[in-house]
Amino acid sequence: MSSEPIIICDGVGKAFQLYMHRNDQLKQTLFWRWGPFYKEHWVLRDVTFNVSKGECVGIVGRNGAGKTTLLQILCGITTQTHGITKLNGRIAPILALGAGFDIELSGQENALIGGAILGLKRKEVLKRMPSIEAFADIGDFFYQPLKMYSSGMAARLAFSVCAHADADILIVDEALSVGDAEFGAKCDAYIKDFAKHGTILVVSHDLTTLEALCDRLVWIENGSVKAIGTPQQIIPDYKIAMGREG
Amino acid sequence: MSLDISLDRAASPRQRTGLLFLQAFVAPLERAWHYRDLIRAVVRRELSARFKGSILGWLWAVFGPLVMLTFYTIIFSNAVGVPKSAASGGVKTYALSIFAGLIVFNLFSEIAYRSPGLLQEHVNFIKKSIFPSETLAWTATIRALVYAGISFAVLLLFQIVVTGGLPWSILLLPLVVIPFTLFLLGASWFLMALGSFTRDVSFLMTSIIPVMMFATPIFYSFTDVPEKARIYFRLNVIGNYIEMIRDLLLHGQLPDLTVYAGTVLVSLLIFRFGYRFFMRYKSIFVDVI
Repeated sequence: MSSEPIIICDGVGKAFQLYMHRNDQLKQTLFWRWGPFYKEHWVLRDVTFNVSKGECVGIVGRNGAGKTTLLQILCGITTQTHGITKLNGRIAPILALGAGFDIELSGQENALIGGAILGLKRKEVLKRMPSIEAFADIGDFFYQPLKMYSSGMAARLAFSVCAHADADILIVDEALSVGDAEFGAKCDAYIKDFAKHGTILVVSHDLTTLEALCDRLVWIENGSVKAIGTPQQIIPDYKIAMGREG
Repeated sequence: MSLDISLDRAASPRQRTGLLFLQAFVAPLERAWHYRDLIRAVVRRELSARFKGSILGWLWAVFGPLVMLTFYTIIFSNAVGVPKSAASGGVKTYALSIFAGLIVFNLFSEIAYRSPGLLQEHVNFIKKSIFPSETLAWTATIRALVYAGISFAVLLLFQIVVTGGLPWSILLLPLVVIPFTLFLLGASWFLMALGSFTRDVSFLMTSIIPVMMFATPIFYSFTDVPEKARIYFRLNVIGNYIEMIRDLLLHGQLPDLTVYAGTVLVSLLIFRFGYRFFMRYKSIFVDVI
C-alpha cells in the first residue's frame, strides 16, 4: 500500500438552498440581484480526509448525517459550496443499483447504456458482454426486457456492469444489501478482490462488513467529521453513540 | 480539435479575441464529441424503445407521415382553398409545401414540448450516476432529427412522383439544416434549465406552440403575409428556416442571402446562449430536481 493520496477531500462544505415555494427557485435564477430567496441549509461542514491508493475506507454515520451527499460531491454529481475535492483515477459509483435502467429494453441493451455512462466505449462493453452476462448469472433473462425482472435480478445486472468498468476507485453507497445471500457473497468476494489493487470508499450501516473490509473508518456526525481511525478504534465508540440515542 | 494551443500562439489581442469567440462555439461541440459513445447509446435506446412492443415497429414512423401527407392533399384539394401564392403550382405542390413546413415545425415543437421535462425524466441518471446532463439536448435533438429524416424521405419520394425529379439545390440543404440543428440544441438547453426550476415552462409550451404553429408560415407562405406585417414574421426563426428549405427543396432557387445570414447568426447566438445558460445553472438544478 503506497501513501499516495488518490482521493483528496479538503474542507468540503455543502449548503443546500432551501426554497419555501417552488417558484422561488426561478425567482432566484432570474432576479438573484434582489435575492436571496432561499434559506441555507448546511449538510456538510469542513469535511477533510484523504484516501491513499489501495486503501479501503468506510463512512459511517446516522441517517441524514450527509454521507450520501458527500459521495455525490466526490463523484461530481453535485458541487460543493466550498472546499476542494480531487480524485486521481477512474471512478465507478454504485450509488443506486440499476437507477438508469429502462424497463422496456433487455438486460443486454441496458448493459450497453450502463457501460456508456461509466465511460466505456461501445466496443469495450460488447467485448465484455459475455463476462457481464456470466457475472450477473440471470440466465436467459439477460435477453428479456427488464420489466420481466425481479428487483434482485436488476440489481445483479447493475452490479455486474459496474464490476466491469475497469475503475481505479469504487464508490459504494449501501447498495449491496439487495439480492440473495449467494449474490451478496459474490459481491463481497468481488469487492475484496478489488480491494487488493483498487481503492474503495464505501458507505454502510453494516458494521461487521466494514470491520472486515476497511482499513479506516470516517465517522460523520451532523455533517462534520467526528472521528477518523481504524475500525477497532471507531466501532466501539460508534456503537455506544448509536445505542444511547437509538 | 483543441484551440488552447493556438490561443497561446495567437499574437495580437485581436486574434486572441477572435479565437476566444470561436472557442465559445467549439466548446459545446467538443464536449459532445467527448461523450459521443454515451450520446450514441442513449439515442439507440430512445429509438429502439419507441416502437418496442408494436408489431409493425418502424413502419409506424413511415406510416404516420404518409397518412398526414395524403390527408392534407385531400383536404386542401377539396374542402379548403389553396392560398394565392400556391395557386399556380396546383394542389399537389401545395401539399408538398405544407408537408415541408410541418416537418420543420414538428422538429421544433417536439424539442420545445420535451425539453422542459427532460431533466425530470432522467432524474435517476443525473442523481445516481455520473451523467453529463448536457448530452440530453443532443439525444433529444438527434432523435427528433431521425424521425424528421424519415418524414423527409417520404416527402422526397412523393415529390419525385409528383414533379418527376428533384432540383439540384437540394444538395445545399445541409447548409440550412446544420444551423437549424444548432438552433434546436440551444433552445433545448435553455428550456431544459428553465423547466427544471418550474413546471410552468411545460404548460407555457403546451399553450403557445399551437399558436406559434399558425403564426409560422406553414399553411401559407411569406408572400401571403401583408407587406406591413412581413417584418414581424421575419423575426420568427422557424418560419425563415421553413422558407429557406422550401426554396431549396421545392422551388429550386437560392434563399434570400440576407435572411439566410441573419437567421444563421441568430441561431448561433441561441446555441451559445442556451449552452452557457445550461452550464451556468447545472450545479444548481441537480439539487432541485
